[in-house]
Amino acid sequence: MRFVDEFRDPELALVLGTEITALCDPGQHYKIMEVCGGHTHTIYRYGVQDHLPDNIELVHGPGCPVCVIPMGRVDDGVAIAERDDVILTCFGDMMRIPGGNGSFLDANAAGADIRMVYSPLDALRIARQNPDRQVVFYAIGFETTAPSTALTVLRAKQEGIPNFSVFCNHVTIIPAIKAILDSPDLRLDAFLGPGHVSTVIGCRPYDFIARQHGKPLVCAGFEPLDLLQSVYLIMKQLKEGRAEVENQYGRVVDWDGNPRALAVMNDVFSLRPYFEWRGLGSISHSALQLSSRYADFDAELRFAVPGVRVADPKACQCGEVLKGVLKPWECKVFGTACTPETPIGTCMVSSEGACAAYYNYGQYAKQRIHLEV
Amino acid sequence: MTGEGACSVTEGCITCGDVAVALIVVSMVGMDARCRDEQGREETVAMELVGTVTPGDRVLVHAGVAIEALTRDSRTSKASRTSHMTGSGE
Repeated sequence: MRFVDEFRDPELALVLGTEITALCDPGQHYKIMEVCGGHTHTIYRYGVQDHLPDNIELVHGPGCPVCVIPMGRVDDGVAIAERDDVILTCFGDMMRIPGGNGSFLDANAAGADIRMVYSPLDALRIARQNPDRQVVFYAIGFETTAPSTALTVLRAKQEGIPNFSVFCNHVTIIPAIKAILDSPDLRLDAFLGPGHVSTVIGCRPYDFIARQHGKPLVCAGFEPLDLLQSVYLIMKQLKEGRAEVENQYGRVVDWDGNPRALAVMNDVFSLRPYFEWRGLGSISHSALQLSSRYADFDAELRFAVPGVRVADPKACQCGEVLKGVLKPWECKVFGTACTPETPIGTCMVSSEGACAAYYNYGQYAKQRIHLEV
Repeated sequence: MTGEGACSVTEGCITCGDVAVALIVVSMVGMDARCRDEQGREETVAMELVGTVTPGDRVLVHAGVAIEALTRDSRTSKASRTSHMTGSGE
């Protein structure tokens, strides 16, 4: 398949692995965080880690959109969905995220009308088809997805669709990276930057990572060779004592991002003063809400929600996994009480979640064997 | 793309996974375009965020919206650019 096969060539992977090894100082341990859940998925699906020397450790970051949704926000969605006049719409993985009072799937089983959509534009179509019902889109995701929600709100306003609104949980990646860099319990050497988020925001917002923290970041694509080449670029920087932002995913990511998408986001959204991230806690200016110009489409203003902070289950260690402090298999309930079929934590729900990736692609067994040795 | 494997409760959701898919523009339909993937599956995609496109162009699609046009000349010229930032200690 064009644009795919050339990025999955096993012989090239071996060559890159050898070149990466040659750049390593054998006496040093390197920690590289892949920020994006899509990268985590690729790493374990294709065994990217197996092409790296043992002293390069890939640390999983907070870039899985559903993984960072706190339980209280799930409960808010359920509370809206339980109204007789509401159709709640959301993306697929969101259906299984556990809240304090169950998941959207549980609410559906209890009679709420919650429908899975692929695009926020599908939610708008449902609103057109059901003028006597309130249709709420439960928006999640980083800057990759936020423009789609913004565009949908613009269309709703242009068409004058009064029964459509958005429950906005969009988050932004830069404050999360800042929070990780400020975390005292994590020492990182470099970052693999999120490819599709960078399609929208470009590479410039990462400059502070190189300039203020002296750490390399390479915006990386999602195929196995993309990731290996990105690790190579990082190791070359470290070897040469440089800290720069580089763009490995140049076939997709423009250095300045997508100005049209950024303009639409700036028009429709404003920054929340604070937003709670699962595992990372409350981070200032890290999430989006509908701006006052689009308040008529803000579900948080249209409906009363509990708005209560719900603590994660004590057994769940998603927070430590999201910060890269714990590997998924080090969580007490990983693979036992918490599995993709019966997730306790968010990281086990989405295929991009670090725990689900470990579980689905055999790293669980591999790591346990290492432990026993 | 919608359909099997794109978004399901059991198999995972490509939108939640920040997955974007490269599609080819087949025809324009107002502000939208009919787009096709390599397997021949078609989808209607919103085009407002990428400006003018014509049939044959490749676009990167996420959640039913094109977020980048992939066929512009500028794409390759920016492939190897770096910010040339120096480390904090330099």
